[in-house]
Amino acid sequence: MKPIIEVMDLTMSYGEHQVLNSINVAINKSEVVVIIGPSGSGKSTLLRCLNGLEKPQYGEVIIDGQSLMDSSVNISSVRANIGMVFQQFNLFPHMNVLENIMLAQEQVRKRSKESSQAKALDLLQKVGLTDKAEQSPTALSGGQAQRVAIARALAMDPAIMLFDEPTSALDPEMVGEVLAVMKDLAREGMTMVVVTHEMGFAREIGDRVLFMEQGIIIEEGAPQQLFDQPQQERTRDFLSKVL
Amino acid sequence: MDFRFDIIWDYGPLLLKGSLLTIGISILAILIGSILGLGVAIGKMSTKWYLNWPMNGYIHFFRGTPLYVQILIVHFGVVPLFMGQTNPIVAAVTALALNSAAYTAEIYRSGIQSIDKGQTEASYSLGMTHRQTMRFVILPQAIKRTIPAFGNEFIVLIKDSSLVALIAAPEIMYWSNAMRGQYIRVWEPYLAAAFIYLILTYSLNKLLSCIERKL
Repeated sequence: MKPIIEVMDLTMSYGEHQVLNSINVAINKSEVVVIIGPSGSGKSTLLRCLNGLEKPQYGEVIIDGQSLMDSSVNISSVRANIGMVFQQFNLFPHMNVLENIMLAQEQVRKRSKESSQAKALDLLQKVGLTDKAEQSPTALSGGQAQRVAIARALAMDPAIMLFDEPTSALDPEMVGEVLAVMKDLAREGMTMVVVTHEMGFAREIGDRVLFMEQGIIIEEGAPQQLFDQPQQERTRDFLSKVL
Repeated sequence: MDFRFDIIWDYGPLLLKGSLLTIGISILAILIGSILGLGVAIGKMSTKWYLNWPMNGYIHFFRGTPLYVQILIVHFGVVPLFMGQTNPIVAAVTALALNSAAYTAEIYRSGIQSIDKGQTEASYSLGMTHRQTMRFVILPQAIKRTIPAFGNEFIVLIKDSSLVALIAAPEIMYWSNAMRGQYIRVWEPYLAAAFIYLILTYSLNKLLSCIERKL
């Protein structure tokens, strides 16, 4: 089977600082890949390259056969098929929860107002927030805001979901509710790439874990293998600090 | 010193007409200026040189030269070029609108740039284009933030509109000057004009803080 995401030789630097150093990864449909590593290791940058929010200097990202580096590819239509969830939620504060989930459905998918709204309400039910539909995002707790952000991304019927430290900005008691939604998604067969510090989640849900440091994938493998028998000194070092 | 209220009373109807024209010119100029200004701001922020160079030049020209000079250029140069002959009111609105576009462009730009980058990224990640992102995500938030600055710009514009008396647009200052000419007196016409401007800017200030509180 052809991988849905292919990253080849991806290299990127900000001035002198090399953020990504010749990264190669292939991710299959329905796979859940978790990227771990110390901060500044390039894991968020790698994730952001997958939907073209970062422009690498060298290498290639191919999503479902379309290269993001190819200027004839319509980046917006590729992005519409890739949901992204951010650490800071990035909900639109000038719209209520429902409108947040409807906007791109109407503007990008060209769905009618009615069907966008029906879909939005469906998704709010899925993330357990039906009662918040008319509220402003600013009135939500962090955990609720992040679940709305997930619903907003899912409304586009994406083939891939990217999560950039989705629980890092949350109070500890709210982490669980967001992880629960993500677990449901994984079980439904969503292709997911998750940058996180939640090692428990990585172990339980991840099909594969990548450990990154200094812009390089140091080690990758099934969670049991990587967490229980890390092969690399640096992986052992990192895990001993976080576990 | 005696102060002759009777001559102000005499000129009352003309000063009132002048005030209405001042208000009309200012409203039209700020409306046209803020629409143009949005285009200038978006052009200036564009990464395409053929958009950002001219728009940058536009802003530099209108902020870097006296409004007086701009009014004369528009009145004696630009308007006749398009209309065959000049017209003081058209010239006044045009000059003030072009001038205020340069200032409102900078207001828009600072408003747009004050919106968190995460908003743009979230919008892009949903598949929205640059244009859709601007229209539905960034501008609605940015414009709300720029309302106080727009209020200031409007007040400045009302005061600046007094300069168009120079090209005989019959607004407040035009009639004050006429009054001075007729009665050869200075205090009455100019204090009356100052008082009218004060009423205009003061009421506008009140109105704006009302709007701000509502938002």
